[in-house]
Amino acid sequence: MHSKYTGFKLRRLAVSGISFTFKLFMLVLFLFPFYWMIVTSFKTYGGSIVFPPTLLPHTFTLEAFEQVFTRLNLWNYLKNSVIVTVAVIVIQTLIGVPAAYAFSRYSFKGRGIMLALVMAAFMVPTQITFITVYIMMSKLRWLNTLLPQIVPFGASAYGIFLLRQAFMQVPTDIIEAARLDNAGEIKIMTRIMLPAAKSSLMTVTLFSFVGSWNSYFWPLVMSNAEKVRPLTLAIERLKDQDAGINWPVIMAGNMIMVLPVLLIFLLMSNKIISSMGYRGIK
Amino acid sequence: MAKIEFLDVHKSFGSAKVIENLNLTLEDGKFNVLVGPSGCGKTTLLRMIAGIGPATKGQILLDGEDVSNIPPGKRGVAMVFQSYAIYPMMTVRQNIEFGLKNNRVPKAERERRISEVSQVVGLAPYLGRKPSQLSGGQRQRVALARAMVKEPKVFLMDEPLSNLDAKLRGAMRSELVQLHKQLKTTFVYVTHDQVEAMAMGDCIILMDQGKIMQQSDPETMYRDPNNIFAAQFIGTPPTNIVEIGSENFKLGFRPETIILSANAGPDRAFTRRVKIMTREMLGAETFYKLCLEDGQEAMARLTNSSLAEGDTLYLQVDEDNLYFFDAKGNRVRKTGSQHYDAMVERVKRSHES
Ligand SMILES: Nc1ncnc2c1ncn2[C@@H]1O[C@H](COP(=O)(O)OP(=O)(O)OP(=O)(O)O)[C@@H](O)[C@H]1O
Ligand SMILES: [Mg+2]
Repeated sequence: MHSKYTGFKLRRLAVSGISFTFKLFMLVLFLFPFYWMIVTSFKTYGGSIVFPPTLLPHTFTLEAFEQVFTRLNLWNYLKNSVIVTVAVIVIQTLIGVPAAYAFSRYSFKGRGIMLALVMAAFMVPTQITFITVYIMMSKLRWLNTLLPQIVPFGASAYGIFLLRQAFMQVPTDIIEAARLDNAGEIKIMTRIMLPAAKSSLMTVTLFSFVGSWNSYFWPLVMSNAEKVRPLTLAIERLKDQDAGINWPVIMAGNMIMVLPVLLIFLLMSNKIISSMGYRGIK
Repeated sequence: MAKIEFLDVHKSFGSAKVIENLNLTLEDGKFNVLVGPSGCGKTTLLRMIAGIGPATKGQILLDGEDVSNIPPGKRGVAMVFQSYAIYPMMTVRQNIEFGLKNNRVPKAERERRISEVSQVVGLAPYLGRKPSQLSGGQRQRVALARAMVKEPKVFLMDEPLSNLDAKLRGAMRSELVQLHKQLKTTFVYVTHDQVEAMAMGDCIILMDQGKIMQQSDPETMYRDPNNIFAAQFIGTPPTNIVEIGSENFKLGFRPETIILSANAGPDRAFTRRVKIMTREMLGAETFYKLCLEDGQEAMARLTNSSLAEGDTLYLQVDEDNLYFFDAKGNRVRKTGSQHYDAMVERVKRSHES
């Protein structure tokens, strides 16, 4: 009997030990690239190519960051990225919220088909549509503006779907009570539905933000002038300017790129995790 | 204040006809109680008045005006939902204020009304709280306050007390009756509890399967039911219904009108030998389940608790306490039926044979 319990205890210890090692492994796996990016961006060019590589910079320098700003007209690209991202989020919200409200609460002719279309759009990858869209944009003579990076993303199928699910959780009684309180549909949407769907709205906004901020392929195809290109493309340009690849400069560029995303995740991590858990997204 | 009229109203959900050909008038200023078993259409009726579940066909008039095309928020009605439906993300104050703001009531007036109403329902200390920080009874008061503050012409209440414990329910019942006396507006109160209906209503509307079975004051509802359904729905235990041999009518009598004795008195209209099957002593009164000689059963509700299971006695009921019903279950009254006396005779004779 004594030995049986010892076995049990040992087994539990072993399990928790394995689990801890695994978690540590995952953490390193995810964090190391980040760490490497940060460290490299503070190295000198010489420091970045020594062999074997060092885990910390020999001489800590902001040289790489300076170079990013001198080599590129960074403010122009940053401005484009911000405008595109903000515009996409605002338009998606303005279109997505009423659409989701209508899909969740009204019965109208063709609702099923329209919802199916939204879902279908959700599943079609951009690689299939980009040529057609490109031709359309070029006919509209929009390629030297930011519009091709904004307008096609004005409606997010994913956002509409997720918000609709959240809106459907709101009890009908509450909406009817609001109607009896003489609230118009806009007011019901903003005062009743949105507060109830806060976590979903945040998830949607966050995904749009990351998607738009990080998008590379689409602006690459849809722009024909430097003045309308976003930060992602600019960082790419840091690569091919020199004969040898200047890693600290590229990493500094990437730092500037991911900093806003990182900040937002750090500031809102609690809310993000709770909203994801609530949705059942792992 | 408003009179509410239903004219030939129909309501169906898809192919399911829930209400057909309803004609009903709810008098101005009365405490109307809609009562009936679950699923009979009480909530459906309220929702039609409120305009949130419009009638499929027919007209609904408020003070003689057809409201079919008036949106819910402009009808001057307020509703307390079965589920309360208070806005979970707003504070108590915001909940109460929401309707007033939407109706463009000026700020000073809003403040005055909110403080008045929250005094009346006892919510003053809780105005800053979120609904999740309130007890069930307090939430119910929020729902009530939200309706009261609008000073509506018509007050609709859908089983507002059903989620409360027995004690609080009793207290709220008398508070609502009190409130009605103060406001003197038209109340339409839904319940499936006959005791609540009898205790609170000026006018009871008894429904079954989308039809009005009887509309009258509580006293009449109890003393003079229109049909077997009304006789059995009101009263505990329900009215006994027995068949007399092979007659094509049925006889009803309330458990509390039964006289049980060792010797049958000569002048009673209905007499049967019965055996006591079970006895339930409830304090002031005792319920006895009785078995008639022909196998039919009846319940008696007496103050006498000294009878025992297995006793064999005479059950008697006076003529005044007998209800006659035709084969369809509708009441046959003394006035207006030439068969009435003959039926009484047949009941009297039925014991001797
Ligand atoms: N939205 C709906 N769709 C289909 N049928 C419905 C709908 N709402 C109500 N019904 C049906 O209409 C009938 C009346 O419902 P209603 O809610 O009015 O009953 P009720 O008298 O309020 O019952 P309860 O005492 O249980 O609240 C029921 O048979 C119900 O199944
Ligand atoms: Mg109901």
